[in-house]
Amino acid sequence: MGTISSAINLITSALNADQAALDVTSNNVSNASNEAYTREVPNWSENQPIYINGEAIGSGVTVTGGVSQRDRVLDQRLDQQQQLSASSTSLLSALTTLQDNFTPASSSSTTGDIGTDITNFFDTYTTLESAPSNDADRQAVLSSATTLASDISRTAASLNAQQASLDQSATTVVSQVNTLTTALAQVNQQIQSTSPNSDAGVLEDERQSDLSQLSQLIGINQVTTEQNGMSVTTTGGQLLASEGTAIPITSGDVDGVTHFYLGQTDITSALASGGGQIGGILTARDQSIPTTLASLDQLAYGIATNINTVNNAGTDLDGDNGNAGNIFNAPTQVAGSAAALTVVMTDPNKIAAAGIGDGTGDNSNAVAAANLAKQNIIGGETPSNFYSNLVSTLGSSVSETTTENTALTASVTQLQTQVSSLSGVSLDDEASNLELFQRAYQAASQVFSILNTVYASAINIGVETAVS
Amino acid sequence: MRVDPFYVAVNLSGALDQTQATQQQLSQELSSGLRVSTIGTDPVAAAQNVTLLNSVDQDDSFTQTTSLTQGQLQVTDSTLGSVVTQLNQALSLADEANNGTLNSTDLKSISNQLSGIRDEVLSLANTAYQGVYLFGGSQTSGAPFTLDSSTSPATVTYNGNSDVNTLVAPTGQSIQLNIPGNQVFTAATANVLGTLNSLVADYANGTAGSGVADTTALNSALNYVSQQRVTIDNSIGQLTDASGAATEQGTQLTTVQTDLMQADFASVSTQYSLAQSQQTALISVITALGQGSLFNKL
Repeated sequence: MGTISSAINLITSALNADQAALDVTSNNVSNASNEAYTREVPNWSENQPIYINGEAIGSGVTVTGGVSQRDRVLDQRLDQQQQLSASSTSLLSALTTLQDNFTPASSSSTTGDIGTDITNFFDTYTTLESAPSNDADRQAVLSSATTLASDISRTAASLNAQQASLDQSATTVVSQVNTLTTALAQVNQQIQSTSPNSDAGVLEDERQSDLSQLSQLIGINQVTTEQNGMSVTTTGGQLLASEGTAIPITSGDVDGVTHFYLGQTDITSALASGGGQIGGILTARDQSIPTTLASLDQLAYGIATNINTVNNAGTDLDGDNGNAGNIFNAPTQVAGSAAALTVVMTDPNKIAAAGIGDGTGDNSNAVAAANLAKQNIIGGETPSNFYSNLVSTLGSSVSETTTENTALTASVTQLQTQVSSLSGVSLDDEASNLELFQRAYQAASQVFSILNTVYASAINIGVETAVS
Repeated sequence: MRVDPFYVAVNLSGALDQTQATQQQLSQELSSGLRVSTIGTDPVAAAQNVTLLNSVDQDDSFTQTTSLTQGQLQVTDSTLGSVVTQLNQALSLADEANNGTLNSTDLKSISNQLSGIRDEVLSLANTAYQGVYLFGGSQTSGAPFTLDSSTSPATVTYNGNSDVNTLVAPTGQSIQLNIPGNQVFTAATANVLGTLNSLVADYANGTAGSGVADTTALNSALNYVSQQRVTIDNSIGQLTDASGAATEQGTQLTTVQTDLMQADFASVSTQYSLAQSQQTALISVITALGQGSLFNKL
């Protein structure tokens, strides 16, 4: 048999439990807009019953606090998709800037278009064929050469500038990563010391938020270790943070390009293929831009050396046989020839339109120069076709990245929905819980008043003065 | 089953942003008239655009060049025509001199007239068009023929060379642009100027001399010049044909290029109005769904 005082204790535990549950609910409601917050459910646990003469007598209920509703596996999947999506987004942004250097020309707007410049340059030689000693036609050759050289060198300079700016962005992202890994290590330590065996609630929310931000910046693999600890490595396998220790990524300059290191290992190319914002930035900096720049260099080198060779294999208007001079500056190597391309010839009389040993009115060397447009002098293609291939390669990579980006963004949104469904605070749920706990509290307090009355009656049994 | 509480804020507003971006892109297509405004929109079309514009520009440039070249060829042709006229005159004078009915005064007079014709032909051989001597081969900066009257017969020296210039059409066809003077006027088998000089010398002292033989030579020389003229006429014809072909190809390719790159206004307008109605629908859905929670009813 129970006692009245034990009943009162029992109901008191109920009142406390309901109050604690209300606290959990109000915490949920106050964090309703916080996307990093994981909703908590009050953890009801029945107190151990007391056995008297073999009879089990209940001793009430306790709320031991909120239990965060999260699925670690789902969270990890979301992080992995975010890595891929962030990488694709930053790559697409860099490629979009890159492709703006190669806007398609139309017959009405051709300024700055390299393809048009190439055609116009060789056309001036065709015109020169019909009037080899005409000064205006010779001037036209030089001025179209100047336009071609300046558009190519300007484009190359723009590509180099973009590469430098991406370099800067990469460094910024890496310093953000280092800040996050330090914060993560601290949270790890706190979690391992305060709740090594169960979900750490708010601390776990903080850790998941750090991991989510980190995975948007850099590709990571998450490994749960003992006592609720966590190790984070790059997708390439290098350790970034382990339990309470964070390892910073350092940087160094290699041939004018910033490389990144963990300890002694150069992780730059691993980072480029690893995902996260830095993956996209480094892919653009180390692959997309260099590929395009290399093609431009090939184009510049091919045109400059071939035209210079032709000009030095003819007779100019002054009668110089075979040493009329260079029209373009002579590049020593392919790399860098696009940015350095200029026209060095200033005197139109030095254009060698005539063949060696022929009179100055001969046009066979002008014919030879014009024919270069139809010969496979650059990478096995004519200059115009080579440029066309450059455009199509770059355009395809933009197009592919756009498609991939759309798909990845959609899949991230889907996973986000799944995570939010589980962990997001639903105001409707909280409102009905509020009502529930409120009524339970009212019921318990009602029972308390009744028990109080019963207690008073018990005290008053067989007593002349009444107690109320 | 639980529902994502952030659905309206994240998913639907994301979709709304997407429709706005689509509308922006479509209206840009409408205003610029271009379907392919960046190479990423259609890489294959962008690459084809480069090669099409290359051909169109080549054709345009060639058409412009031919109109200038035609002038030079026409002048060459009419010069040769004048030479033929002069030679015909010379022939009739020579025939007259050879028929044996003229006295020595008359023969000397004919010699003088032939001398005048020779001077005229010499000047025609030294014709220049826009500062370029037409019959010097590739030595076009100075007069190709000089006369030395101190000898009898007078001698003509050719200062040019035998070089021939050709113009290459976009189709690859080579069109001859000139005939060297030593081929037209002082060829070994039909020496126009040499024959004229001989005839002048023949009748200069009042006798027929070897006038008959030289007249026969002059006749072959005249036929020879007419044949040379055919070469130039052919070039003029080829040039006209090549120019016409280039213009036609240029027009065709321009049409192809325009079709490739231009926006299809009908389909873009339809897509635009679809995007607009989608946007309106999304806005109503967002408004309806964001109507609050159970808390409003408590």
